[in-house]
Amino acid sequence: MDWFLSLTRQETTHSRLIAMAFLTVLTLVITFFLPPVADSQLAGGAAIAIVVLGLSWLTGWSGQISLGNSGFMAVGAYAAGIWAHHHASTPLVFTFVLAIVFGGISGLIIAIPSTRLRGPYLAGMTLAFSAAVTPLAQNFTSVTGGEGGLFMNSLVTPRWFLHFFSGPNAAINASAQWSADLAVVVAGVMFFFMANLFHSRTGRAMRLVRDNDVAAELMGVNLARTRTTAFVVSAAYAGLGGALYSLLQASVRPETFPIGLSITLLTLMVLGGIGTLSGAVIGGIIYSFSANLVAHVNSLTGVNPTSNVGANMQGIIFSVLLILTMLFAPRGIVSLQYPLRRLFRARPATPTPKDVHL
Amino acid sequence: MADTDERQFTLEFEHVSVSFGGLLALDDVSFHVCENEIVGLIGPNGAGKTTAFNVACGFQKPTSGSVRFPQLGRSHLRPPQLASAGVARTLQGVGLFGHMSVLENVMAGAQSRPGGGVWRSLLGPPSGARHDRELREEAMGQLERLGVAKFAGALPSGIPYGIAKKVSIARALMERPVLLMLDEPASGLDEYELEDFIQLITELHSSMSVLLVEHNMDFVMQLVHQLVVLNFGQVIAQGSPNVISNDPDVLAAYLGLDE
Repeated sequence: MDWFLSLTRQETTHSRLIAMAFLTVLTLVITFFLPPVADSQLAGGAAIAIVVLGLSWLTGWSGQISLGNSGFMAVGAYAAGIWAHHHASTPLVFTFVLAIVFGGISGLIIAIPSTRLRGPYLAGMTLAFSAAVTPLAQNFTSVTGGEGGLFMNSLVTPRWFLHFFSGPNAAINASAQWSADLAVVVAGVMFFFMANLFHSRTGRAMRLVRDNDVAAELMGVNLARTRTTAFVVSAAYAGLGGALYSLLQASVRPETFPIGLSITLLTLMVLGGIGTLSGAVIGGIIYSFSANLVAHVNSLTGVNPTSNVGANMQGIIFSVLLILTMLFAPRGIVSLQYPLRRLFRARPATPTPKDVHL
Repeated sequence: MADTDERQFTLEFEHVSVSFGGLLALDDVSFHVCENEIVGLIGPNGAGKTTAFNVACGFQKPTSGSVRFPQLGRSHLRPPQLASAGVARTLQGVGLFGHMSVLENVMAGAQSRPGGGVWRSLLGPPSGARHDRELREEAMGQLERLGVAKFAGALPSGIPYGIAKKVSIARALMERPVLLMLDEPASGLDEYELEDFIQLITELHSSMSVLLVEHNMDFVMQLVHQLVVLNFGQVIAQGSPNVISNDPDVLAAYLGLDE
């Protein structure tokens, strides 16, 4: 029991590595038992979970809010998409690194003016950015492919993976699952890095700035640099998530990144629990299976999916979930674990610091 | 006392003036804090004590004059440079980090020590965990030294004010300061806690200089070696507590009003 508790506390890098590897492998195993449709949904959810994690870091750890993360997603997606469209045979790792770099750079550009702003002003500034990105993509047709976007064919199922499958739809099933497995592994790696960041000197600097910026400065923390770092990391995560999401769809299109997506990301983060790894996972899972939920509610209520109400059912469901969460678990669904943990606590708490963010 | 020996100055204000528009908040202020000396900055409300503190910390730029730290070989430090240069300042109230445990608050005092940037943080090399454990032990040691170790796991909102004040001192000590600046350390403390504080700061001055702003005259008189009295932004007197308490100007400006 002790070793398990030390794993959940994740105080050392190797315990974080073991925990993330274990969860990743577990999810990979699960994908073998899921139907292909669920695999595809899970893949999309993993990509969104990466973005939500980046946002959660920005909000929960550095105390800044952003409505621009759908914009950062678009930047990463287009960086990856434009490259992959022309160089389909490039290793995926390179495409991902490209998305991270470009996402990070866009974050840096936005952060330089933004970190001087607080609260609603910061939200407004970042919202303006995400509103500007989609029209840019729509209008620079020669580079971005305009409304139709760009086609990408980088996600090729390797031959050895096909051996796990047989039957009439083997190729399609294998492709769906390969996408899911790839997305899960990428998410696992990104969650591992974020777990390290949470427990690092940089992570501590963020929390100092968030809680009391005057005192943080007196501890030697450079406020502007710390806030900018938070933005860059958040945007890099969004960029990678956006690229992964587009690769899964085999195309990058402006309509994938509406402003509303930023609001959805924010909602998913709050639903899961701000500033936590498991909160971002929960957000990703909710996103994955929101389509099923929408279909289910539509069929239960008899609403026509193409009607005005039916088309907005996802927004309605998220709103209701958000209200319920605020009422019953204001710190997010992840906070429901604390009553459970108290039940199963093996020994009284020791005076080691209890991280409020885990 | 200060003029006759050969100790270095830790902090030196030379003809410092600060004006906010037409208002002269500090008017040609000169004073110094010697090595291992406890200096009290006193004066009625609005005399410019806090402005002087803010100028020393770089929160406020002097309109003219200079702020130097001869013992540290530095001058005109900006706030984020203070900690690594060896200047720790506590804030009015307690200024703790509200969402972090007492122990983490104290560990935060070591934030200015070199420890690698964001890349290192992402990769989380094993040396990081070892470094963290050492910090934790050191922070625990500071809490034990101040007799508040049992509150290590608590959040600042859940501990008594006097304890929180001690935690903020423990945090400042983690910065390994050469100059400790205390902003109203006695405010909100009861007599018992004040006794404790006097003893604590007296112990500290063997290894560092202390500059404090304070309203509580009994507390100041028992504690400091030198006093600097400000009124309307000007230094109206400085010297040992004995000299100051008999200075007619000071009595008129300040002590007389303090019942």
